[in-house]
Amino acid sequence: MKEKDARVEGKDTHQLVMYVEKDDGSYDSIMTGSYLVKNYVDDFWDKKKKIEDEFLGKIKNGEATPIMLYMMLEELTEVELAGRVGISVRKVKKHLTPEGFETMTLRTLKRYAEVFDVPVVNLMQAVVTKKSGLQIRAEKTKNPLFYFLRIEG
Amino acid sequence: MNKMNDLVIPFEHRMFAHCESGTVTGLLNHGGLPLTEPMVFGISSGILFLYFKTPALPFPTFVVRNFPGQMIRGVSRRLGVKFSTAKYRDQKKGEDAIDALLDKGIPVACRTDFYYMDYLPAYMRAHFNFHYLTIVGRKGSKFLVSDCYSTELAELERESLRKGRYPGGSFDPRGFLFYPVRVPQNPDIDAAIRKGIKAACFNMLRLPVKQVGVKGIRLFSKKIMEWPGMARNEDHLSHEIMKINILLEDQGTGGAGYRFMYATFLRQASEKLNAPALREMSERMMLVGDDWRRISIYAARMGKNHDFGETKFRELSEKIARQADAEEKFFTDLARIAKTL
Repeated sequence: MKEKDARVEGKDTHQLVMYVEKDDGSYDSIMTGSYLVKNYVDDFWDKKKKIEDEFLGKIKNGEATPIMLYMMLEELTEVELAGRVGISVRKVKKHLTPEGFETMTLRTLKRYAEVFDVPVVNLMQAVVTKKSGLQIRAEKTKNPLFYFLRIEG
Repeated sequence: MNKMNDLVIPFEHRMFAHCESGTVTGLLNHGGLPLTEPMVFGISSGILFLYFKTPALPFPTFVVRNFPGQMIRGVSRRLGVKFSTAKYRDQKKGEDAIDALLDKGIPVACRTDFYYMDYLPAYMRAHFNFHYLTIVGRKGSKFLVSDCYSTELAELERESLRKGRYPGGSFDPRGFLFYPVRVPQNPDIDAAIRKGIKAACFNMLRLPVKQVGVKGIRLFSKKIMEWPGMARNEDHLSHEIMKINILLEDQGTGGAGYRFMYATFLRQASEKLNAPALREMSERMMLVGDDWRRISIYAARMGKNHDFGETKFRELSEKIARQADAEEKFFTDLARIAKTL
């Protein structure tokens, strides 16, 4: 690829290294912005938002659990999720149902939260606000099950 | 935990195109062997294609490089670099091992789950247990990380690195780390290049597995016609189609990126071996990469516009099939040239 065709300018595009044909005919690396991010990252987030809305609706109606929501968002299969949480696939299937979710131990819930890299409380609530510009942040404590939810702005 | 003193090993942090080849290149350069990333990639026969479906992934996918870990092994075998490797069942011991190496001034590379590398943008982070990085120091509760995808030396909480080193799931790294203990200062690079090229041709043309190499590209071109029937809904299909663009363009340099890197390797190899035929092959490989890039852009547009008619899929399939033909011809010619080097 020619260097001029590889160059992607613009702020907010993360930098990456590509090997290109330079103007003098030599082949070498350049740092450039990401074509993908520049053109398609909004579409990526829109799709994530749609999944979130769909499954939050299902959770609200008692048809799904937060485990299902995060599993879909993170594109994990039941087999992979089971391997990561360290439980059987049968148990994961159970935790995907509201009835099975209720029977989960706190230890398992904590492990799910680690896999999804979210505070444990996120598996039991969704924070909703009509105000824009708020900064909402879960602050860790030494107790792995207890967070301060800081709402600022 | 005892309070650790802060320290930074004088390790030159650089961005590279790909994490495994970049991490190995960084370590070799630090050890006094000035190899380029394309050289590491080519010597270890990094170029490949694999189409597969596994219970660990919700949808079929493809990779366009050799199997993770093979670049480390390839460089070790062909250049005589000796790496010390270890896995730790006990997470505390795994972390202590890193601290002990840092205390000795040794940068140490780890295999991690990409997802927990929170210094990278959120859209990049996905569960993928084959991300390589180098730990080069510590500061307070954080490690200093030289990650090929980060513009700066990154800071990562110890807890995040622990999660990344012990994520569970398929191909769990289990605290895998490695570092070079012997880096030869004058290895036979010419011989390593020849072996690397021959092995790459073998892998692309002759491995008796239908998912791998040129056969893998052909399988991909056929199987993509089944994708519409496998998706949950239109958005899901759009996402999976656009992932072709991610895999070919961005993540881990992608197929086009790897082809450009291999072209650069062949160019450097032609100069090192004084072999004009390899220079011509490097130009051809650049063009192969350009065609992969066109496929990637075509797929991204299809996905974004939800343009999923059968004609579109047929056209995409045919484009991929043509790549299989082009790569078959390319590696057949390269194998012939390799015999004369």
